[in-house]
Amino acid sequence: MKLLNKILGGALALLFLFPAGNSFAQTADKGSLSIAVSYYVANNKIPSLGVKVKTKVNGRFQNVGGIALSLFLDKDTALNLVGNVVTNDHGEAYANIPSSLKKQWGTSVKHTFIAAFRGNTKYDSTSGDFTANKARILIDTVSGRSVVATVMEMKDSTWKPVKGVDVVIAVRRMGGDLNVNDTPTFSTDSTGKASADFKRDSIPGDLKGNIILVAKIVDNDQYGNLSIEKTVPWGGKFVAKNEDFNARTLFATRGKAPIWLLFIANGIIIAVWTVLILLVANIFKIRKLGQEA
Amino acid sequence: MENSISTAYEEKIIQDLLPRKFKKSGRILVAILSAICLVGIYAYYRQLRYGLVVTNMRDYVSWGIYISNFVFFVAISLVGSLITAVFRLAGVKWGSPLTRIAEMIAVSAIIFASLIIIVDMGSPERFYNLFLYGRIQSPIMWDVIVIMTYFFISVLLLYYPLLPDIKILLRFKERSGARLHKVYSFLGSFWKGTHKQYLRSKKAINVLCITIIPVAFTIHTVTSWLFATTYRPGWDSTNFGAYFIAGAFLVGAGAVVVAMYIFRTWYHLEDYITLKHFDKMGRVLVLLCLLYLYFNVNEFLTPFFKMKESEAGYLNDMFSGSFAPVFWFAIFTGIILPVIILVFKQGRKPLPMFIVGIMVVVGAWFKRYLIVTPTLLHPFMPMHDVPASYHHYFPTWEEWAITMGSLAGAILVIVVLCRIFPIIPIQETINEHHETAK
Repeated sequence: MKLLNKILGGALALLFLFPAGNSFAQTADKGSLSIAVSYYVANNKIPSLGVKVKTKVNGRFQNVGGIALSLFLDKDTALNLVGNVVTNDHGEAYANIPSSLKKQWGTSVKHTFIAAFRGNTKYDSTSGDFTANKARILIDTVSGRSVVATVMEMKDSTWKPVKGVDVVIAVRRMGGDLNVNDTPTFSTDSTGKASADFKRDSIPGDLKGNIILVAKIVDNDQYGNLSIEKTVPWGGKFVAKNEDFNARTLFATRGKAPIWLLFIANGIIIAVWTVLILLVANIFKIRKLGQEA
Repeated sequence: MENSISTAYEEKIIQDLLPRKFKKSGRILVAILSAICLVGIYAYYRQLRYGLVVTNMRDYVSWGIYISNFVFFVAISLVGSLITAVFRLAGVKWGSPLTRIAEMIAVSAIIFASLIIIVDMGSPERFYNLFLYGRIQSPIMWDVIVIMTYFFISVLLLYYPLLPDIKILLRFKERSGARLHKVYSFLGSFWKGTHKQYLRSKKAINVLCITIIPVAFTIHTVTSWLFATTYRPGWDSTNFGAYFIAGAFLVGAGAVVVAMYIFRTWYHLEDYITLKHFDKMGRVLVLLCLLYLYFNVNEFLTPFFKMKESEAGYLNDMFSGSFAPVFWFAIFTGIILPVIILVFKQGRKPLPMFIVGIMVVVGAWFKRYLIVTPTLLHPFMPMHDVPASYHHYFPTWEEWAITMGSLAGAILVIVVLCRIFPIIPIQETINEHHETAK
């Protein structure tokens, strides 16, 4: 009996220890996040921030969604709050720098953007930051279909050209940006300019033949992501082939069914159902004959 | 004296062929079929509630056993046109006792073909949109139109020859009971059997027989086009219409043979469904098996000979891969073995014929499964980055329950029709007796 009591006691102790052990294990297993902050300025207008949150699982980075982050300008204080965001399924979140921070924005030519995660049940608190110099990019065209991009940096309250920055000069397409020629990037010279010859002569444009040129700096350590666009009439004019679109085909909408199909299909349907209706009417005639008899 | 003998014989025919109340075995059968139907209805309720996710149909196999079952039902329904219309127009007299059975099978099969296609829809409540916004260019629309037409013709072809029998049934109110008597009165109390009525009815039946043949050919050809107009391995065939129709006639004839045996044994109709009928139907089955075998050879030999890379996976899977057991089972059990059995006179006796009929029907069901699933598992574009379960398909219990429920439902409709109406046309049998006596 004593032995039985000991066994039961031991089993009960194990039963209680097991979930306790599990809960300890859960605390120890808390994961760590990696936060990457990016800085964007499109067309030299409102700057914005992007964050990408990842974690390492089995030696591989995976995107983490649903992470609440606070974004700050220069300091992690309520006064410098850019905004609160939550990452999507791709582990990404974006926020524009609000006009309420205009004063802080004007105080310096260099800013640090901070993304702070306060921690939750699954991940420890952590933060990421990115420091960018104020810069701008310009785009222009010259005769002979050449594109010139100029990169300038704010120094001592004046814009100064920057040498040696890699610039992508491309054409906006629906699936992404297509380089204007075979060179992937162009480096700026001492005047801050990079020029590229436009070699995409057969590219289709809109109804007027307009296409959108873009010059951009991508993931630059000093300036972040800058881009600028310019519309030029260098593309082929889009001619809508309405005669094909409106044609009556087997693959068109129901209102555009081929005449021959409508004629044959409806002809057969009408013929067969007329016969069937007459046969139903025949039943009533037989009924009448029965009543007369 | 001769007249009184003839009248006595007529009475015997009537007594033999009048519908009978179910005995215990009949009631058990109805209970079992109803139970299977109820399980199917419950499974369908689950599908409606949780969506098509309860099935194992996914991105690739989006047509599973529901569509196989649909093709099977459409195929089996063609028997109405074969036995009733083709035989009648060709002057095949021996087939007349089988016409009612064939029409009952046709009506029940086409009802369940229509139902099962709705079951396959993710949102059946939107079915009416097909009529409001249907594109006449779509083979699916053609199928909807032709199924409705065929159903209507089949009902008329069942109804018209029933009229003289209903007049006889109305004489036996006590035997049929008050409720059935009301049904008979509603359906045919106006039939007095006058010469004018007879002529009108005969003409209508002839018109129906002529109409049903092209509609029957259309229904199964259009069903085949649902596949053949889609560019996929195994479906990209110009042979499909004829291949489907040959298969449909075979499975329909097989179903009639099974029904003939069951009714003959159950109702002791040995004097009406005779050995001669089995012998003739056996010969018809051999012809249809050989015809279907010919189309199968056509369907598979030429792609096998070419073995195009895009179709190689599909063909190898069918001939020697994971579908090979089902494929060769369907070919041997549903086509080759029946021919071997039926070429012998002993094979055309009732019991062997019954077994062959079952083999043909079961083989045909699996053949429809093979038309749908292997093709969907072998798309032209390779499957990349999909869950492992997408690479194979096996129906869930809900799919099986709904499929079995529909099969049980079709049999139940036939059983109920047999309880209400004579399985063998009474008046036609009497008329034939008079003609033979002359």
